[in-house]
Amino acid sequence: MVETGHFALVLAFAMALVQSVVPLFGARTGNERMMAVGGPVAVAGFALTALSFAALTMAYVQSDFSVANVWENSHSLKPMLYKVTGTWGNHEGSMLLWVLILTLFGALVAVFGSNLPATLRANVLAVQGWIGAAFLLFILVTSNPFVRIIDPPIEGRDLNPILQDIGLAVHPPMLYLGYVGFSVCFSFAVAALIEGRIDAAWARWVRPWTLAAWMFLTGGIAMGSYWAYYELGWGGFWFWDPVENASFMPWLAGTALLHSAIVMEKRSALKIWTLLLAILTFSLSLLGTFLVRSGVLTSVHAFATDPSRGVFILCILTLFIGGSLALFALRAGSLAAGGVFHPISREGALVLNNLFLTTATATVLVGTLYPLVLEAITGDKISVGAPFFNLTFGPLMAPLLVVVPFGPVLAWKRGDLYGAGQRLMAAFAGALLAVLVVMMFVDGASVFAALGIGLAVWLILGALTDLALKSGFGSVSGHVMLHRLVGLPKSVFGTALAHFGVGLTTLGLVGVLSFEQEKILAMRPGETMEIAGYTLLFDGLTPARGPNYTEERGRFELIDAHGEAESELVSSKRFYTARQMPTTEAGIKTIWPSQLYVSLGDPTADDGVVVRVWWKPLVTLIWTGGLVMMIGGAVSLMDRRLRVGAPSRRAHRAAEKPVSGLPI
Amino acid sequence: MLAGGPWLFIENTMLFWIVAALLTFGASLAVLLPLTSRPKADSTDAHDLEVYRDQLAEIDRDAARGLIGDAEAEQARAEIARRILRLNAGGQSATAPRFAGAGRAIGAAAVLAVPLISWGVYATIGSPGNPSQPLEQRLEQNPAESSVEELVARAEAHLAANPSDGRGWDVLAPIYLRTGRSAEAVTAYRNAIRLEGATADREAGLGEAIMSAGGGIVSAEAQAAFERALALEAGHAKARYYLAVALAQEGRTAEAQAAWRALADGLPEGSPWREAVEQAIAAAGSRLTAGESGEGAGPSQEDIDQAAEMPAADRTAMIETMVAGLDERLRQNPQDPEGWSRLVRSYMVLGKPDQAKDALDRGLKALGPATEEGKKFAEFAATLGVAATE
Repeated sequence: MVETGHFALVLAFAMALVQSVVPLFGARTGNERMMAVGGPVAVAGFALTALSFAALTMAYVQSDFSVANVWENSHSLKPMLYKVTGTWGNHEGSMLLWVLILTLFGALVAVFGSNLPATLRANVLAVQGWIGAAFLLFILVTSNPFVRIIDPPIEGRDLNPILQDIGLAVHPPMLYLGYVGFSVCFSFAVAALIEGRIDAAWARWVRPWTLAAWMFLTGGIAMGSYWAYYELGWGGFWFWDPVENASFMPWLAGTALLHSAIVMEKRSALKIWTLLLAILTFSLSLLGTFLVRSGVLTSVHAFATDPSRGVFILCILTLFIGGSLALFALRAGSLAAGGVFHPISREGALVLNNLFLTTATATVLVGTLYPLVLEAITGDKISVGAPFFNLTFGPLMAPLLVVVPFGPVLAWKRGDLYGAGQRLMAAFAGALLAVLVVMMFVDGASVFAALGIGLAVWLILGALTDLALKSGFGSVSGHVMLHRLVGLPKSVFGTALAHFGVGLTTLGLVGVLSFEQEKILAMRPGETMEIAGYTLLFDGLTPARGPNYTEERGRFELIDAHGEAESELVSSKRFYTARQMPTTEAGIKTIWPSQLYVSLGDPTADDGVVVRVWWKPLVTLIWTGGLVMMIGGAVSLMDRRLRVGAPSRRAHRAAEKPVSGLPI
Repeated sequence: MLAGGPWLFIENTMLFWIVAALLTFGASLAVLLPLTSRPKADSTDAHDLEVYRDQLAEIDRDAARGLIGDAEAEQARAEIARRILRLNAGGQSATAPRFAGAGRAIGAAAVLAVPLISWGVYATIGSPGNPSQPLEQRLEQNPAESSVEELVARAEAHLAANPSDGRGWDVLAPIYLRTGRSAEAVTAYRNAIRLEGATADREAGLGEAIMSAGGGIVSAEAQAAFERALALEAGHAKARYYLAVALAQEGRTAEAQAAWRALADGLPEGSPWREAVEQAIAAAGSRLTAGESGEGAGPSQEDIDQAAEMPAADRTAMIETMVAGLDERLRQNPQDPEGWSRLVRSYMVLGKPDQAKDALDRGLKALGPATEEGKKFAEFAATLGVAATE
């Protein structure tokens, strides 16, 4: 089974090579047969990669230590879930997952792209083939997960304990679906450049792909942030750490792409800019993969320990980013530019959005790469952390968030700013009220807190206002309004939900940054402490044993006003025997939307233990917001208008129309 | 099963090649079929027109819902109509296939590339003869073909599932002890005693495991285990041997020697213990002749070996005390060439060359540099890299 997987991987590489060459040649020469090769080959390539991945997963499930990768990253006593997720909890396996998702998207383009113009489809698949071939070669040459051990050991070295968590089951696959999803946008962009024309179907195709990729990336980042928050045991949710930035940059650029793709679809404007953004977004995804996978991040010197991997990904990076940008420089001039529009219009608002988002992306890029480059050149180690980003990224985002509610209420082509302002009056009044309430009743000293909460309320109410206006609030009766609301296109709901989610995340961020409380103290069993009006009673430490670790569990009781135990929190210090590695499991009690966070420190001499307790007001909203954004993306994705009409679907669509039509 | 081993291996390899061939065949078909089937006629313009029609329909829907005003709808319709007109004006006709010959060559090359690349690359990096080895299957295979490590792992897996199988613990315990996993050996012996009852062998084994886990020191706990073994079987050789070791470790060398002597007399012919006991008697004897009480005799080989199993700090402390005792004794009774040699060596082992040199000088002075003993002593010191001051 293992070797079958290995062979399937090699075969997938051969298929990727065919996919890179034959459809492209067919498109150049107008040979339909050769263009048609792309589809079946992409599907077969996906099937083979999936078989290969299944074989590796099987080796993990069965603890087949004759596979070096399994021996290095698994243990026979590990719970089944972590055996499966351990498949991608390491360099080789995660690269295989990356390629699996890439080929999956290639196959989806092949299956659902039957109504695309044949040359566009062939070129898109060929570009996907190039990416696939490059990464499959990378896996086979430098990171092969199927390397065997002739005389296999009887027990594995276990997975890094920090990764033995449900987070590993969700976070990397979602993040990769996001990263790699942008490869489809990239392929469409490069295909358009190769053809020298942008089809009308182009934007309609690129937008759902962007939306899907963006949705997964949002979920992946939010999940990763929450994982770091509860697993690392020091209560932070975002560290501006280069690995996080590596996923955040494609997200920012992808958000910009999402918005410019709307302009392109609706108004045929911003075509060339959208093309460039599609290239840049995937380039940032590749950069992220490079930063995380080459080992350059832990230290620039990791190149020396395994130079082949870093150099190989760097070559792929240079080839794809350099090549696509060169192609862009060469061909962009010959593409037909789009229509014109007034600066005060929805297009104008979206351009503003793009300006802010791309500048913010550039800021993060500088903050991430500058220390790495400096270290590589001079050997000096500097750390660019939160202060830099607070000074640069924050001031860029604040004005963007202020203008977000204006976008959806402005008309296309020629908008009326005064009118839009009037329509948003209620939201503005609500935000002002929130500022005053915070100033007067919560914390008069912190201008940041008051304005921040005001901004969040402005975003939330702005999103609701958009829905109310579109359903005719104030001009029609309640009954009709409800009908109209239900009949609104799903993409309108998607927009409103996504903007609502941004508001929630902002609210959570401001809440936790302004009103967080922290206490560090030594506690002995039976002692109590108070934080934010809650009383915690420390019951003591008890030893316990897990399948592949031992732990000291610290039990705390949350006491209510009457002195009764209301609920309990358990925080523990684990020791994983195979890796000889300690971890801290935080005890978290959610009192929605806030959380009480308890983390155990070292024991003290008088048989107490150091305990760190945080009160984190509104903290869950940070991730709830991300989830709402994701739902917004999904709702928008379900909007059937996004599908490209195929000639054969014509009759079906016509029949469907009266059903979805409104009784007004 | 034993005979089935190699056959199974061949079958696996055969099966792998058959699967590989089928996969290659399927993959080649995915390339070949589109190349040989008749293509559909397709025009880019038709696709664009379709998109524009959809956009018109969408405007109608939006207008019907009141999302956009009539004037705006009219404007948008006009814009899309302009796009459609532009499309028709372009009048792009489908390009006729060019390079038909080159196309056929590339098509053929592509179909051939699939098997050639895959089999070529796999042949260099794959290990087709290496079957999958799931852990469970490895643990179930014939014991005769397994390594000790595998057998232990199998027994462990069995005991993890049936922790109350006393016989399993009984089998595993001495293996643990022999492979140096003393802590596990202690647990295994305890479990065996708890489940199967105490026997002299098990108790003595437990004592040995505790001693081994404690760095070779016969602790009170280990001694108790040996005593229980003796209570169960009066002449138990292992228990008697180690109880004597305990005496020796307490410094009661003479009593230890007597105990070993008694043990040696009672041992049957060909007993595996005879050699160990005789060595112990000899070592104790030399220690007794070296110093009246055994106290301050300096570290013997046995002591050093034992010390090697102790924690680093304890080990150094133990050796230093012994060396200091030896040094003191030699100052009072310097006519002991063997003692001087041991002292020089000890100082070198402790990494104190200056003191070693000092000891050499003092020893030569006491023994006389020209005497036979003095010369031998100087030679011995020279082999350790210590030279006397002229």
